[in-house]
Amino acid sequence: MALERSYKAQKVIDRLQQKVNRQILLSLAACAHCGMCTDQCHYVLANPGDPSYAPAYKADRIRKLFKAHIDWTGKAAPWWVGAKSIYTDQELEDLKDTVFGKCTNCRRCSFNCPMGVDMATFNRMARGLLVHVGVMPDGVSHVSKDQWELGNQMGILQEEFLETLNWMEEELQSEYNDPDIKIPIDQPDANIMYTINPREAKYDPRTIAEAAAIFHFAGENWTMTTDGWDMTNFGLFNGDDELGAAVSGRVYDTAERLHAKKIVMSECGHGYRSTRCEGPNWGKRTLGMPLESSIFTMLNYITDGRIKVDKNKNTEPVTYHDSCNLARSCGVTEEPRELLRLVATDFREMTPNRAENFCCTGGGGAMSMSEYAPRRLQSAKIKAEQLRATGARIVVTSCHNCVDGLYDLIRHYKLGMEVKLLVNLVASALVVPARVAEPAVAKPVAAKSLAGRKILVVDDEPDVRTYLRMIFKDEGAEVVEVPDANQAMRALKASKPDLMTLDLIMPHKTGEKLYWELRKDPNFADLPIVIVTGYARVETPAINFHAFIAEKGISEPEGFLEKPIQPEAVLDTVVKILEKKAGILN
Amino acid sequence: MYPTSPLLHFAEDKLQVIALLFMATVYVLKIRWILRFPAGGDRQAPGNAALTDGPSGAKRSLFSIAMPWAMGSTRQHPFLYAQFVIFHLGVAASIAMSFVIPYAPQLVSGRTVIFSLQVLFIGAALVGVMRLIRRLSDVYLRAISSPDDYFSLALLIIWLVLSSLAAPNSRQTSETPLLAYFFMTAFFLVYVPFSKISHYIYYPFARWYLGRTLGHRGVYPLVKGA
Repeated sequence: MALERSYKAQKVIDRLQQKVNRQILLSLAACAHCGMCTDQCHYVLANPGDPSYAPAYKADRIRKLFKAHIDWTGKAAPWWVGAKSIYTDQELEDLKDTVFGKCTNCRRCSFNCPMGVDMATFNRMARGLLVHVGVMPDGVSHVSKDQWELGNQMGILQEEFLETLNWMEEELQSEYNDPDIKIPIDQPDANIMYTINPREAKYDPRTIAEAAAIFHFAGENWTMTTDGWDMTNFGLFNGDDELGAAVSGRVYDTAERLHAKKIVMSECGHGYRSTRCEGPNWGKRTLGMPLESSIFTMLNYITDGRIKVDKNKNTEPVTYHDSCNLARSCGVTEEPRELLRLVATDFREMTPNRAENFCCTGGGGAMSMSEYAPRRLQSAKIKAEQLRATGARIVVTSCHNCVDGLYDLIRHYKLGMEVKLLVNLVASALVVPARVAEPAVAKPVAAKSLAGRKILVVDDEPDVRTYLRMIFKDEGAEVVEVPDANQAMRALKASKPDLMTLDLIMPHKTGEKLYWELRKDPNFADLPIVIVTGYARVETPAINFHAFIAEKGISEPEGFLEKPIQPEAVLDTVVKILEKKAGILN
Repeated sequence: MYPTSPLLHFAEDKLQVIALLFMATVYVLKIRWILRFPAGGDRQAPGNAALTDGPSGAKRSLFSIAMPWAMGSTRQHPFLYAQFVIFHLGVAASIAMSFVIPYAPQLVSGRTVIFSLQVLFIGAALVGVMRLIRRLSDVYLRAISSPDDYFSLALLIIWLVLSSLAAPNSRQTSETPLLAYFFMTAFFLVYVPFSKISHYIYYPFARWYLGRTLGHRGVYPLVKGA
């Protein structure tokens, strides 16, 4: 009796027949099941004995479908060649677990396949098939939606973005005592249109300021833009070519509208690959202007003498982590090293490196899939060993995604390393022209508002933790951070913080539950808690925190902030709470 | 020349031609099938035009199989690479022998040549056995193996053993090894296009396309690290 196929399963099969091109067909058909790819995958190395992580096994989940519906051998003798179709929605969920949760599309297996089977490419295709029928991790869905609707993957509103640029411009002018330092916006006919990763605007705006300083001191005619400024592209991660074409198209359209002579992309592996390499193919466009990574721009400024750097300003031992997308998909391996050697004194190579490097484990959109975080961190063991062996104090990378992935694993494996981008090192090595080197009037040094305070940050999103850590550390606080509620309980007992920030939606145990437990626990009932959440609105009844508090009869939190959060609002809230608490105690 | 029975004559000549024609027909259909799928293009600007390009990357990719130092997987497993070389040399030699014995037997007439071939065939068959054991015992390989994977390997092992027995071409003593070898070869030729053994027909295509893309992007040839 023929099995009945679900609507979504049928759609996936129909779509498969449209999406298989010649390269994908060859990759699906050519595998000889030799197993040479097996120990080239960080998931396998970190989970010995579990074949479900092996690249060929994962590829076979898709290959079975291909054999069943496209390959003639599979149609003739399915059992003999391992062909197998899908029928149920649960099978689609299982496929999702493999293609999203057990592979970062790092392409290391593809490079180690004797047959030239490009597993990462058809894994991306499989993601696209699932996304087409709405089967994807929640995080992927949210980010994709934001990028479709708002043009950037972090849902930053234009007003917010411009405020951040303005804030950074003021910071720069103040830092260098130079009112001429600008962050130009929508300037036509600029030599460079500078595009960024939205993570910079949202969580790490100092990288924008650093790039602006470099452009300024290089005397560059550059601009940022109000539209088309996000060069990251979730289309690469979710396999949706239409999204990929739309996002990269926004960047190209803006550059063409402003008659920019060149598009420069800040440091982002997948953004560079998407905008530089894949975008023209997705959108079937030929671009009339060059695109380059800011790595090349910064390197050229130094070698052309447009900016001066002093490598003695970066003396701590550094190593370099090659982003998979830059090294394995775009051939950018030597320029970052050349640049690093110009701005740091003690560069130590990681082994293996370049196109043979291991993934940071945060690639392929993994950082947005919190349900797979434990698996990701387990697989990060390989990267952690690689980092530890360098003996470096700082790991430099050219990818914001890698920054988050590396930061997470460094904390998890207690490596005690810092993660930096090349722009951080170039900016800190900058030799500023004498006229602006020193502020005309020495500014009084303000006392740091959180000096001596200890703050516990509980949030499953590494970006948010990084952001809050940066804000609190800048104000002198000691910061302890954990990704879930269970670890929060242990950290509370061990570190005895003065205040805790708490996310509500986290894997395993929700922030609500932790909040309720703490309020009932006499040891922590008085601990000031600031809720930092993106899901607190009344129109989200399932996560209506205020209703929850009322229902449980527990006290309100001392602070409540909804994402996206501005640094001033966070600081203002936290400082006031701590001052109030100190006042009561005094 | 020693007299040849009609059956052996049929097996080493007409049967092989029929089987080869069948295989060629299936391969032509297979290649037409591959070419029916549109090839993805590369619209992006070259990645590192000063050092490499699409054709250079494609060439490098095609010959990477002969460069065990070029890939981590072969560099880290030299024993497996050696197995691969012996096994495939044995298979290639046996294919060549199936043409040589009927049409140019003088090429395999010397004792040294015959002995060398037999050593190669037995070596390749032993490698085949080792590969079969590995496929059965390795948890990763077992998880991806289909009946065709086991059958193809077993078929090749038997064929290589028969090749070693047929190599002396001593039809004056007994035709049995030659008959077994040629009938097996014919079956092999008919079965191969439908099995995983036909991976070699995909190899040049898959390697060429991957290499062309990565060459265009400035990735291939790879720069070796420290």
